[in-house]
Order: sequence, then structure tokens, then C-alpha cells
Amino acid sequence: MSCDLMTPVERFAAYGRSEAVDRLPCVPIVGNTAARVVGAKVSGFRGNGKLIADAQVAAYRRFGYDVIRIFTDLYTQAEAMGATVHYPDDETAYLAEPAIDSADQIGSLEPANPYKDGNLPHHLEAMSRAVEAVGKEVAVTGALTGPFTTASFLIGTETLVRLMLKNPAAVHQLCELALQGALAYAKAILDRGCTPSLTDAMCSTTVISPKQFKEFGQPYLKRLVDFIHGYGRGVTLHICGKTRSIWEQMADTGADCLSIDNAADLLEAKVKVGTRVRLMGNVSPSEIMLQGTPLQVRDAVRQCVWKAHDNPKGYIVASGCSLPVETPFQNIDAMLESVREIGWPVHAEKLEAAWTV
Amino acid sequence: MSENENELFKALSDAVVGMEEDLARQLALEAVERKIDAYTAIERGLVDGMGRAGELFESEEYFIPELLLCSDAMYAGLDILRPHLKIEDASQRRFKVVIGVVEGDTHDIGKNLVKIMLEASGFDVIDLGRDIPPQQFVETAVSENADVIALSTLMTTTMDAMAEVVERLQKTNIRERFKVIVGGGPISPAFADRIHADGYANSAPNAVKLVKQLAGVPA
Repeated sequence: MSCDLMTPVERFAAYGRSEAVDRLPCVPIVGNTAARVVGAKVSGFRGNGKLIADAQVAAYRRFGYDVIRIFTDLYTQAEAMGATVHYPDDETAYLAEPAIDSADQIGSLEPANPYKDGNLPHHLEAMSRAVEAVGKEVAVTGALTGPFTTASFLIGTETLVRLMLKNPAAVHQLCELALQGALAYAKAILDRGCTPSLTDAMCSTTVISPKQFKEFGQPYLKRLVDFIHGYGRGVTLHICGKTRSIWEQMADTGADCLSIDNAADLLEAKVKVGTRVRLMGNVSPSEIMLQGTPLQVRDAVRQCVWKAHDNPKGYIVASGCSLPVETPFQNIDAMLESVREIGWPVHAEKLEAAWTV
Repeated sequence: MSENENELFKALSDAVVGMEEDLARQLALEAVERKIDAYTAIERGLVDGMGRAGELFESEEYFIPELLLCSDAMYAGLDILRPHLKIEDASQRRFKVVIGVVEGDTHDIGKNLVKIMLEASGFDVIDLGRDIPPQQFVETAVSENADVIALSTLMTTTMDAMAEVVERLQKTNIRERFKVIVGGGPISPAFADRIHADGYANSAPNAVKLVKQLAGVPA
């Protein structure tokens, strides 16, 4: 399928040194869509590290993208600390009940043990298996949910955001617990030769203010990033929804790459933080990747590349968020094909002509 | 003590904007004691305050946490003032919206904000909650004789359930009786068109504008 001249590992290494590459790195963020590649049900991933690894490796081989990310949903760490997750037969899991419902119960929670609690051991197994299968040619990352977001799943989002204003100390206590769980999981991921890939969905300014992010989100993310850097690994940070007013703060966490949702503009991101961080994104996962045609995917990719290819710290063509389960294969193929067609180096004038006609 | 009614209304409004639940309750009690018209106190005090909070939300000075606490203050005042509404004010037929998060999703903050802002704008809202099967939207809309069905989701997996609500209405030949509006992270105007919904809004304040438009009331 793929006619690439470099492996993802070679491509990232060369790209990072500003050397010639065969094409831009490209990461359609494939999560549970991997189930479709191996004909499995999404619920089959629960408690089955081997199936997650098989599906993710098969999806990587099928599409030829540049990062494997072991991910099923954002709730794994919260579940390991007591939240109840509902697993539909063949769709992405969702939060059924938080672990606790008031601040005075925070003391009853403990940080998750990644080797024992919930589905964390199975996800770790999936990472080991994927590394063993294809780790020499492609980076395998483990999805790690940020402390603030995990805190929201532990106590319920509305309760958490009310507490931010009414009882900030309780929110810090909960974020600290979530951070301890995240650090332990990050260490386990790193010990497997993988890199944690950070997502902190609830830190979006669609939900909280930049000031609240600064107090309750950013400091915990920074400690996670520092920890991962201690292992000599780069970190990608993803926050969904609106993020424009917190890009600087996101860069201040020390993250090496910001993954940006389609609710934000890459051109603006490049101007604001492009000298500090690599950018990744932001083809719309729903409107374009799920519901669009391959031609629309191609146009969207070309627009993104036009905007961000000359980002000083580099650019990865990607979807703005994890792809919906039923994303058509032909649209994922179209993303990769468009990136191959654009090639390297990028000629911006040609791109502009292509998508404005 | 406020010098006159206008000052009390202003104080009620400020208590909502200032997220001061206890103060809103106290001022509402004061309005009751002073036999100030409950409807006017609600409209010019609490609802006015929630409207201002909505404007602050639109201009990104307030975010979801602030808006929720403002609504807590509004509802605290409403709980006290509502029992004192005159019968004609209380029993007035109002435009009715059935709202919920579609089956397969439990993200309900967005839905809750829309509900709060709709209630603050004088609409009757029946909140079904989250993870609601398509049939339940239809049945409730029929039994409650609602005007609008408002569907919310943050997950792409559940978008089809929105289309199913419209299809069920069509199949039973009652599509024309209701306006169907949709919103949430993955939803776009194009998607709303494709499933033959009557409208789409990208934020709680815009959802209110949309419902006002559908209800034919001035924005």
C-alpha cells in the first residue's frame, strides 16, 4: 500500500534534524477505528492487550502512518481509580458514573497502580506487544489522560468546575491524586520503551478559563512533562476544543509538540508559538474525516500544510482529535496519499493554487 | 435594604452575575416580604442577571464554571419567587423545549448550559437527561405537546441517533409538529441539514437565539 522511502522512525529523526525527508510526518489519530481493520468489536479491546496491539499494528501496516498510539478512551486512569465506565458492544466507551460525588470523599481515593488496576495492565501489555512487533520502525505511544481531566471523571465535571470557584484546595487535592496516578502510569509506559502521549480534554477554554487552566491544569501537566523529559523523551500535548488563548501556557509546560483541534487555526498557532513547539493537526475528525469525501480530505490536508508546513519547529499532518470509530478507510488513505503527493520540500504556491480553484 | 424596587431588581441581577447564591436567595426573600411582584422580580432581576452572565460567556470573560454558579444563584432565587407568581403568570402557555443528550453519550455540560439559558429566557424546558434513546425524545415531545426537540452530543458515535429521532418523527407523520435542533462538538450545520433538522447552534447563547427565532419571538 505505502510507497514511502523511509520508516516513520527514520522520517521523524531526519525531520527533527531538518534534513531531507520523503514526505511530512502524518498521523491520522487512529483509536478504536483499529477494531475495524481486524474485524473486531470495540468492546473486545476491554481487558485484551493482545487484541489492542494486533489491531493497532494492523492499522499501522494498513495505512502507513507515523505513530502508533495505544488508546481506547480517555477513562482508563479514572476507571483504575474507581470511576464506572460503560462499554457499549461496539462503540467507544463512555463514563457512566464518577468515582465520588463530593469533595469530602476525595480522601477515599488512591492513585492508580498501573500494574494492577482497571484496564491499565492490558494497555501496558498492548504497548509491549506493539513495540515488540514494529517498535524498530515506528514510535509506539501510550495515551495518558491529564490530571485535570482525570479529576473531572473522578468527581464529575460539573462538581469539579464548581469546586474550582468554591473550594480550590479540594480541586488541587484531587488533581494531585490524579497526577500521582498519571506519573506511575507514565513510568510504566516509559519502562516499556514507549512515550506517553498527553491529552487533557477538559483544560480546553471551551470549558474553563485561561486563568483556571493556569491554576488547575498547567502546573500538573508541567510536572508530567518534566518527568517524561527526564527519560529523554519528547512529549505531545493535546487539548480539544478551543485553545487559542492557552497556547503559550501549553508551550510553557515544556511539551515539544502541540496537537491542535479543528476549533483552532494553525496559521495563528504558528505565529504565536511556532518557534517554541512543533504543531500537529488539525483536519476535522467529524466533518471531514468521518463525513467528508476523499477529495474533501485532500483539500483539508492541503490547507493545513499550506498554513503550517513552514512552522519553525515543524509540523505533523494529523486529524484534530482521535478519529471516530467508523471513519471510512478511504478517507484515512486519502490523508496519507495527499501527504505523499505533496511530498518534500513543500511548495506552498502549488498548494494554494490547488485548493483555491 | 434597597431603597426602591429598581434597586432590588438590580441587586438581584448583580447577585446572579456575581455568582452569589446566598445573596440571591436573601434578596428574593426580601422581594417576597415587600410584596414586590414576583414575575417582575424574576424578569428584571434574576433573568436579567443570567442574560448578562450569558453575554460575559459570549465575550469569554466567563466560562462554564462561572456560568454554572450564576445559574445556581438564579435557581436559588427562582425557588423562592416562583411560588409567589400570580396565577396568570404561572399558568401562561410558554414555548416548550424537550432537551437531552442522545443515547450513547453522557457528556451533558453543554446540554445543561442550553437548558439554563433557555429557562432564563422564559422557555419551558423538559430535561430528559443524558444517554436518552431516540424513542424517548419522540414520546416525551408528543405527551408534553412540546414545540422543540433539542438534541445534544459530544460523541461522533451517537450522531446517528440524532438522525433517528427525525426519522421516527417522519415515519409516524408527526414531523411537522416539532422543530428539531441539534448541537455539540462534532455537529456542523451541514450535518444538521443532512439529517433534516430545523436548526443548529454552536453555543448555549446561540441555541437560545435559534429557539427564539423558531418561536417567532424577538431576539
